[in-house]
Amino acid sequence: MSDPYAEQTAAPARAWLHHLNPLAKLGAVLPAMVLLVFVRDLATPIAFLVLAYAVLLTGARLTARIWAVLLLAIPAGVVILGLSMALWTDPAQVASTPTALRIGTWELHAGALESGFATGLRLGAILALSLISGLTTTGPDVVRAGVQQLRIPYRFGYTALAAYRFVPRFGYELSVIRAAHRVRGTHGGRGPFARIARGWGYIVPLLASAIRHAERVALAMDSRAFGAHPTRTERHDVPFRPRDVVFLLLMLAASAALLTLFFPWRP
Amino acid sequence: MPAVPLLRVRDLTITHRGAGDPAVRDVSFEVHAGEVVLLLGPSGSGKSTLALALSGLIPHSLDATVSGSVTVCGHDAATTPVATLSSAVSTVFQDPDAQIVTGSVLDDAAFALENLRFPVAEVLSRAEAALRRMGLWERRAENPDRLSGGGKQRLAIASALATGSPVLILDEPTANLDPQGTADVHAALADIAGSEERALILVEHDLDAALEIATRAIVLDASGRVAFDGPARRILREHAEEILALGAWLPSAALAARRLRAAGIPIGASDTPLPLTAAELRESFSRFEARKTLDPSPGSGHARASKAEAEPIVSVRGLEVRRGRTSVLRGVDLDIEAASVTAIIGPNGAGKTTLVQALAGVVAPPRGLVSVDGIDPAVASPRALAAHIGFVFQNPEHQFIAHTVFEELAHGLRLRRTPPAEIDERVGAMLERFGLSGKAEVHPFLLSGGEKRRLSVGTALITRPRILVLDEPTFGQDRARTQELLALFRELRAEGTTIVLVTHDMDLVIRHASHTVLVEDGRIVAAGATSALVRDALIPLPAASLAVPPELRALLGDDAATEGRHGTIAGSGS
Repeated sequence: MSDPYAEQTAAPARAWLHHLNPLAKLGAVLPAMVLLVFVRDLATPIAFLVLAYAVLLTGARLTARIWAVLLLAIPAGVVILGLSMALWTDPAQVASTPTALRIGTWELHAGALESGFATGLRLGAILALSLISGLTTTGPDVVRAGVQQLRIPYRFGYTALAAYRFVPRFGYELSVIRAAHRVRGTHGGRGPFARIARGWGYIVPLLASAIRHAERVALAMDSRAFGAHPTRTERHDVPFRPRDVVFLLLMLAASAALLTLFFPWRP
Repeated sequence: MPAVPLLRVRDLTITHRGAGDPAVRDVSFEVHAGEVVLLLGPSGSGKSTLALALSGLIPHSLDATVSGSVTVCGHDAATTPVATLSSAVSTVFQDPDAQIVTGSVLDDAAFALENLRFPVAEVLSRAEAALRRMGLWERRAENPDRLSGGGKQRLAIASALATGSPVLILDEPTANLDPQGTADVHAALADIAGSEERALILVEHDLDAALEIATRAIVLDASGRVAFDGPARRILREHAEEILALGAWLPSAALAARRLRAAGIPIGASDTPLPLTAAELRESFSRFEARKTLDPSPGSGHARASKAEAEPIVSVRGLEVRRGRTSVLRGVDLDIEAASVTAIIGPNGAGKTTLVQALAGVVAPPRGLVSVDGIDPAVASPRALAAHIGFVFQNPEHQFIAHTVFEELAHGLRLRRTPPAEIDERVGAMLERFGLSGKAEVHPFLLSGGEKRRLSVGTALITRPRILVLDEPTFGQDRARTQELLALFRELRAEGTTIVLVTHDMDLVIRHASHTVLVEDGRIVAAGATSALVRDALIPLPAASLAVPPELRALLGDDAATEGRHGTIAGSGS
């Protein structure tokens, strides 16, 4: 998200996900994301991964970056997480399952692999579901929908948006501070501890400039009547249309169907 | 002039919370529609505080004890809600980045209007009119981050114009901008200044441009009282010496004339007023036929240029620096003479800062291309390098690493395993020199702006490097601090230190730099004695210098300066 404000209105009609209400997209995936946390099998997360990919591939504007996320980053994450969790699993608990890999006296049981990949796939499915909303929604639209449909006070939403502008600025500031400290010879050695010690040194100057910047932004917003009235004019309506209801209900029904089909909580 | 003033200030005294003395004392004035008021004064004279009180941000957003009253278009600023006030008075602040809150140029111009609950159609029509006025309508869909500094400030002005408020306050709108951005903003201000239904209050240190539009000047003294109030040109003409004594700037033409007078060039009788603009300065020469009657004494600048032909202390051969895929510097060859003051100039993004950072090892140059005082910054460790070259960042806070001023100065010595007794002695001497003796145990962040700058220079000097590099050291500084720094340069140079600085300030270059390097698009376009570059018209001369006959320009230089003769830096606290 290099530019959280980038206009998405240019999205072609084909990319139907971009034209849905942000709240509908969030509401459609949130229940499934929460329930997936409590799932322990392999089939359910795979089913939800397929569902999320199907929605994204048909409805999102597919840029090279999104292709990379979907085809490389998520699969790689699932494999790495699955393997490392498998190694971490207590061998005593899975001793009854067949051995999948043997190196000398060390054995990796199929049960460990299964439990590791269950975790990896679970997190992958949750991430993929969150991308349905995350890749197709801009920050301002979430705020507008929150203000218009959920009646969240606009001060919170728009202040959060203004704060988002700080991020690139602080990134730049941090790089300057690091260079300044390096030139003063505060390298202090290699390794994680030296790195943490160095990091502490950056905090004071970064905080000082952050606070000063925040005060200035607050003054500028105050002087432009921000928060003066309980509401403000909204030039962009983010309507909640029948198609949002249809999407929401279809996604919830699909989630319910998958969970019923694979019912993962059998005793 | 209409009978009812847009702005009425009565006996205004403001004390910031936690401060002992008021920042603004017993200030009274009225501003009518059509006026452009220039607010002058040294730093700490309460200009910004006054500006905040005029817009109601004091006391509504910032806590302060206020007595007296501010009335804007009939509304009492202390009791009227900011919402009502913001359609009467708008403010443009100094920092362009801190005024943008939305994601597109159009949204930003519409921000205040939306907060004021104007209907959508009116929001759009007003925002469009304001953006068109500032030449930003074509860029309405862009992220404001993509605008240049000057563009961002024009956007801030557009946002202020959109509200239609009759009072517009501009608090140092060009202090953070490069020359191009400054010119941009001044052109925008000139465009809106003439309006009969609007009043502008302008806090600005660039008086040359401000005088073009200002109808009136109010000068505050260091204690926050009104020292002078009247027509801008008359005030500056009649009270030039007093204003200078307060620590505020004068137009560069007036400063140039003053310097020439002190050098014995008769620019009018000594009691006639100083010229305020380049045109007036030029005229004063033709009137006295300066070209014929004057014996052009050789300037020290010429003597200096021919004097040194020693081995260069910094030499660069074929330097290339890449950042990611783009090359920032290409084929740079450069020699810097020992004990010179070398200015690196050029447009924004030309690679000036990268060049000096490569010299000081802030960014690592490729091996074998740079030699600084006999060592290669590409391979030398920071501690080894610190004994040869000191680097002062633009924002002093960035380089502070210790919890007290003493430790800050001692840091470089401790890294070099200097014996404690010697550390005490050298740090003590440095504290003394920079007027920080009483502040040894203070946290560096709690120092004043001028003290921070002095400390940052002190930390770079403590290891006794022969070269000092400064990145835009006078950027956004007031006159007193600038003079202080320039006096320090003179002192260091006399001791044999080589100074390299990146700057946009052409007046500083011409007056204080013995050598100048012009960088454009990652290449060195010209390098040599400043006087030679001036002669070849490679340095864009400020209008005031252009108005002086060429044979006299050397008198404007460093050694001919009659002001800012501080014995030591400590003598001129900020």
